[in-house]
Amino acid sequence: MLPVLPTTVVGSYSVPEWLERLKTDYYRNRISRSHLGEIHDMAVKAALKDQEAAGIDIVSDGELRRDNDIDYLLARITGVHIPVTVKSFYFDYYDSPVVAEPLPIDPPPPLGLADDFRFTRAHTDRPIKFSFTGPFSLAHRIQNKAYAKSADLVRALAQVLNAEARALADVGAELLQIDEPFLAGYPDDVGVAVEAINIVTHGVDVTWGLHVCYGNRYARPSWEGHYDFLFPAVLDANVDQLVLEFGRKGYEDLSVIQRLGWDRALGLGVVDVKTERVESADLIAARIRKALETFPREKLVINPDCGLRHLPADVARAKLAAMVEGTIAVRRTLSKATPEPAPETTTAQGA
Amino acid sequence: MLVDFRPTGKLRGSKPVDATASLGPVLDALAEDSLDLSRVRVVCDWVQYRNNFRDVVDIRPIVAAHGHESEVMPVALSAVMTSDELEVAIDVRRSGDAPLKQLTGDLIRAHAAGANPSRIYLEPWVATRSSVIWDFNALYWKALDLWEQVTGQQYEKTLPGGESDARNRDAVREIITNLFMLWDSLAERNALPDELYVVELGPGNGAQAKTWLDEFTALDRAHGKEYYRRLHYLMCDYSPHVLELARAAVADHAQHVSAFVLDATQPRTALGFLGYKVFLVYISNVYDNLPTDEVAQIGGRTYTVQSRAYLPSCAAADIAQSVSARPEQVPGLIGKLLRLQPALLAEAMPAHFPSVEMAVEFWRRCWAALRLEERYQPLAGLDLYQIAPTVSGESLRPLLESGAAIRMHVNNGAVASFTDTIPLLHPYGRLICHDLFVTDVHAYRTGFRGPGKYDGSVVNWLNGPLLAHIGRRRGFDVDFQRFAHRTGTNIVTMTAQVRD
Repeated sequence: MLPVLPTTVVGSYSVPEWLERLKTDYYRNRISRSHLGEIHDMAVKAALKDQEAAGIDIVSDGELRRDNDIDYLLARITGVHIPVTVKSFYFDYYDSPVVAEPLPIDPPPPLGLADDFRFTRAHTDRPIKFSFTGPFSLAHRIQNKAYAKSADLVRALAQVLNAEARALADVGAELLQIDEPFLAGYPDDVGVAVEAINIVTHGVDVTWGLHVCYGNRYARPSWEGHYDFLFPAVLDANVDQLVLEFGRKGYEDLSVIQRLGWDRALGLGVVDVKTERVESADLIAARIRKALETFPREKLVINPDCGLRHLPADVARAKLAAMVEGTIAVRRTLSKATPEPAPETTTAQGA
Repeated sequence: MLVDFRPTGKLRGSKPVDATASLGPVLDALAEDSLDLSRVRVVCDWVQYRNNFRDVVDIRPIVAAHGHESEVMPVALSAVMTSDELEVAIDVRRSGDAPLKQLTGDLIRAHAAGANPSRIYLEPWVATRSSVIWDFNALYWKALDLWEQVTGQQYEKTLPGGESDARNRDAVREIITNLFMLWDSLAERNALPDELYVVELGPGNGAQAKTWLDEFTALDRAHGKEYYRRLHYLMCDYSPHVLELARAAVADHAQHVSAFVLDATQPRTALGFLGYKVFLVYISNVYDNLPTDEVAQIGGRTYTVQSRAYLPSCAAADIAQSVSARPEQVPGLIGKLLRLQPALLAEAMPAHFPSVEMAVEFWRRCWAALRLEERYQPLAGLDLYQIAPTVSGESLRPLLESGAAIRMHVNNGAVASFTDTIPLLHPYGRLICHDLFVTDVHAYRTGFRGPGKYDGSVVNWLNGPLLAHIGRRRGFDVDFQRFAHRTGTNIVTMTAQVRD
């Protein structure tokens, strides 16, 4: 049973400099894939331990096996051709992946994410959030030579991801999150993105989250703006949670989201992942209380703005600990004010 | 013994250097001593800056690693290490008329004795970025008005070419035209902010800002989008005097210009509110004037170069006489000069400095005589060496991992400035920097890149590959192009912009 205001992460976890170097060594052909795999196993276990120690209710594998949010998936999708697979830095995007022929989707070959989930499941007893980048953002890193319209490529990628989501659900995934880091840069295309999200989620009976932020490449925002661009299209998305960035940008958009009709759960970003300054627990609590003025407690999930990938490990640990401490402080206040109705506690996770 | 003759290009051409004339006397002096010659390296440079911190020949001890340092060195690396203990450095450019054999012999004997009586030291061994030469450098910018009054020459005239390349109108127009194209495309997507920020670090006397703003106004009028109305041009400099000059120069644009006194190595202390908002950061000949260490790889081991500033005894005696002091008092007087600045120094010590002009003259003479003695201090590990507040020495690894011998700049101040500036850039913003960049690490193996003296300030070339590497790790493409709008210049334009 999750507590009210459950705490979780968005996905990625701190990648220390030594791991960056080892990952880069792999992309420069200096260490083998099996060695890198063992390194990743150790890193994932450590990331789980860190989250558990911080008191996070719903943990992730930290996406530590991934080179970045895009290429880890593109490199596994049959039909996506990557001309040069050597990188000077592991986190860089591959140059110009190409889809020259329509993707095989009947059925698409598996991507192997289920194995990643299975490993995580074996090493923690806590609920797990498993994230993957959505079709809209994946398509934006591909040269499309196969489809007449870019939207058709987005739909085809969505079908590939739908098959993978089914495989994840089959091995026990209960909370899946689609990340669309590019969406804020193309506000006019929300309709296509939502259509593709619904293809991904179709027939997969899990709790679905949708994470939209303003970018976190190299700890920098890629776009600016407000979340009103998501509406009304996002109301048609078959997802249970919107996981959004507020800690860095401020909470003005909360009322906009509520006014425009979002009545499902909200993943409330309360930790700015683009600064190494650690928020105090009091500040976190204040941010949550501010959100409670707009959203009921049963609708809120507490998380950082985005992945913690670019933060040093000690900072990531401190931020998560502060987030948990601030959340607990608010829970105490709430429990004094009114008793928690049992069903509400599950609504926020959406299960 | 290894002899490293770096200016190989000087061995050919119409006036080739006679390497034997430089090397012969030095080798003779070494041969006459009891040193283990197998542990001596001899390096020859062509020191580009006529005013610099080196004597024609000098020796640099190579400090042995021991204790903590040797324990943390990987075994495989220590196995290939040599154990040189001394480097003899010759400035080939000035060696022709110098009594090299005698100078070298004197230096070796002084080294063996553990003290050099012909030098009056101003500081203990320190990382070069912490040397007193940077206090002189800071004083120059703080008291530039006094320096210029006494010399009768504005600092810009002392630059190669007599003016900053940032004033070049063709270059300015190219930058502004590119900005307009970007802003037009953002405006089409309703993504152009209301406020358009441009930051200039190191505006000099304001002439370059004026050029930029005048050109901007003219081009904006022709373009017809009224971007000038939304423009905020922020001039930032360490020197209030420089900023005052700059403000006066751009008085016609006062409504659009703000001035900030700040340390270029920490721009966000004053400009943090502009995070991700600045479309252009414009920097000209600032980075080459910021404190720097050097690192060296010798025999497979990595060292930092430590320095201690000194005055040659004879120069110190002359300087002392000019201010009615004894030579041993000169270091103390220099300390007071650097703390108080010339005007207050004259007030505080009238017996030595009857006028401010005398204090400035003392400053100038000390600066002219100032030298750096160097030694190589082993690094226990790259991770233990901090380049800048957010950059560890690990960033040097790609440049050193070949194991080849090299000595290169770290440009700590420039790295600090660069890494603290790029967070200001809008996702489509650019940092454009005109400066003296080494664009290929190999260039450090064939040329001397500083430190040198520009008038009253320090100049060092910049380690372009290091800045590019650090920028790439932060998601920026960093590109170097030779300055396109003036021929015969060493200036290179570095451009950094977000990669994806």
